[in-house]
Amino acid sequence: MDFSQVVFTPEQLALESEIRSIIEANWTPNYSHIAVDHDRMPVEVRMEFAKRGLLHPDLPKDQGGAGLGELELEMIAGIADEYWMPTNVSNSMLIPTLEKHGSDWLKENVLPGIRRGEITTCLGYSEPDNGSDVAAATTKAVQDGDTWVINGQKMWTTWGNESDYVFLLARTGPVEEKHRTLTMFLVPMDVPGVEATPVWILGGGRTNVTFYTDVTISDQYRVGPINEGWSVMSEPLATEHGAGVETQGVAPVNGTMGQTFSRVFEKFVDASIKWAASRKTPDGKSRLEDPITRLAIAEAMLDLEMCWNAEGELGKPMSAEALSRNADRMADIAAPEGLLDFGVDGSIYAGNISSERQHAPGTSVYGGTTEIYRNNLARRLGLPRPY
Amino acid sequence: MSLTLRRNDYSLTDEQGQLVDMLRDLFTEQSPIGLVRAAEPLGFDETLWNTVKENGLITISVPENAGGDGGGLVELVLAGIEIGRTAAPVPLLDQVVALRAFAALSAAGADLAGFDLDAALAGDVIVSVAPISTWELGAQLIPSGAVAKAVLAFKDDSIILMTRQTPAPQAQNEGCAPVAWWSPADADVTTTTVLAGGQAQAIWELVQREWRIAAASSLVGLLAISSEMAREYALDRKAFGVTIAKFQAISHQLADIHMDVVTARNMTLKAAWLTENEPKYRPELASMAMAHATRAALRSTTKAAHVYGGMGITLEADISLFYRKVTSWSLVGGGMRRDLEDIARAIDTRAAELQLQSSNR
Repeated sequence: MDFSQVVFTPEQLALESEIRSIIEANWTPNYSHIAVDHDRMPVEVRMEFAKRGLLHPDLPKDQGGAGLGELELEMIAGIADEYWMPTNVSNSMLIPTLEKHGSDWLKENVLPGIRRGEITTCLGYSEPDNGSDVAAATTKAVQDGDTWVINGQKMWTTWGNESDYVFLLARTGPVEEKHRTLTMFLVPMDVPGVEATPVWILGGGRTNVTFYTDVTISDQYRVGPINEGWSVMSEPLATEHGAGVETQGVAPVNGTMGQTFSRVFEKFVDASIKWAASRKTPDGKSRLEDPITRLAIAEAMLDLEMCWNAEGELGKPMSAEALSRNADRMADIAAPEGLLDFGVDGSIYAGNISSERQHAPGTSVYGGTTEIYRNNLARRLGLPRPY
Repeated sequence: MSLTLRRNDYSLTDEQGQLVDMLRDLFTEQSPIGLVRAAEPLGFDETLWNTVKENGLITISVPENAGGDGGGLVELVLAGIEIGRTAAPVPLLDQVVALRAFAALSAAGADLAGFDLDAALAGDVIVSVAPISTWELGAQLIPSGAVAKAVLAFKDDSIILMTRQTPAPQAQNEGCAPVAWWSPADADVTTTTVLAGGQAQAIWELVQREWRIAAASSLVGLLAISSEMAREYALDRKAFGVTIAKFQAISHQLADIHMDVVTARNMTLKAAWLTENEPKYRPELASMAMAHATRAALRSTTKAAHVYGGMGITLEADISLFYRKVTSWSLVGGGMRRDLEDIARAIDTRAAELQLQSSNR
């Protein structure tokens, strides 16, 4: 057991100042934008990071990484968070998938660019008629000699308007056979027949519906064996969910998505404190002294500490629900300003609270609903599949 | 500004793992549910207390130079979890917290007024603390107060020692914990000031935190066993032709209970380690661990009992026994109201930090 502060080595301190200079030279924080978990890393920062292997710092140098450890990963996340800078590039879980299942051609021509951050990807799993039930996908891929013809629609293709490839789940047999007739493809998004239309979500973020009309691609874009797409896809999905994340000493125990939300939650607690400090009660005291306001903020702080102590997959539902619960509560505590947008007269800091209330509901849905997470957890507890 | 990172390592050492195994065996064998029931309403079993003494547990977390085994707060938490899992009717946690307080008082040169500390270290005299004495004035409900002969408390600016020859009468409570009202004004109580001033305040601040961590650990154990019992029942019980664990209305409740168990356990271990090793860092962590353990135990034992349906509300069901224990173990420390007041002080700390930051930006 150890919760002590890490003493950085001279190399780590040098890395810290290097990262700070890159960010400061290429990124202006936007303090109206409390949640950046849906946004991509600014391209200028991405290019600087890529040169130094910092996009995938834990990969070996000859694979486009920097050969660094968990501690440096945490440093980068912590510094980026301080500048309110998004760190998403592509779903990094695609790298191990392509290493294991990618065709030789993909490994040679696409994987290195993904590692270097020059090539970006997005995910094509959900469809208009199925979300959590991923294995009900109906987007069809039909083999025609050495090529495949793809037709269908995908939903929630975040970054689908600005990615080079989509990692697509397609049906390659009768839909009744569910998991057994699915195949994965890495589809280039600049081929004829691929189209992305925006879907605007609460809080102002963009995702997309993507259309695939007679999209014809070579077999070399297939990832993994035909009809084994379910297992090819599930491995990285488990990474996204944070399953199997062990306590390694430095990284938060909260799984990948949960800790992202907890970082937003941390900013939200700060915004609540800043709001309270900026307002007065009718008798002229700071709202920081008002017992009801204090109670609400203290409970938010308690929930935040709880989230940081949630392990692996538990972190996602706990963090998402704690965010929503506290955003609802604090918007009400900050009434009437809690209804105002950021930047509107009188909305100082309350704007962060109201924008978090807009952002929070998505956290319970994207990357898997909290119900799916509870199903997974129930299975890990040895409970039978749902009735 | 510079970045700070902290480790997040909750792992136990091999020694700590062995301690858990030993405690699990001991309390599972020596404190079966029948013994817990037989010890009610007082909530104390002398035979089990003797076993605890013989196994050297009284001094488990008492510093070596004060006659203990040199274990720390983490070891106390591990013991508390096992006590909670079996609802063991022994005042071990209060005893250890009080002994740690006596050790700190001795180190500060306090005058113990002839108090027989060796008898307390041997477990022959039961001692406890008044966890909310800076908050509630006058008569107070004391954990283990119905079996203790000596209680440490805080009054005005001093740590006081209250003693009595005969135990105070138990205040009846649903969990059958041996709590009792103690008052320095009571004719049966002899009160001595053992340490005054700033040093006393600093020691008492830590005593309060340690008591919260110990109490939280027993709630963690209670939560864990309730979670396991509800899971087993859900796998066993059939309705509409299937085990009820197949219904999401049940399995999702069990998932929620499990999340409470894990977070309460981790928060308590983290608070214990940091209180021991860096007491100045985030002083609210002990109250956070207690507040979360309290709310988690209250809501999750309610859910666990509910999984049992009608059986869950019968007195003969073991799950209802754990449900009853929750309030007796948590509220005697002042409940979440007291803890949230503590946590709210961290708002002021953070507000000060933020002003510092914004002037730098």
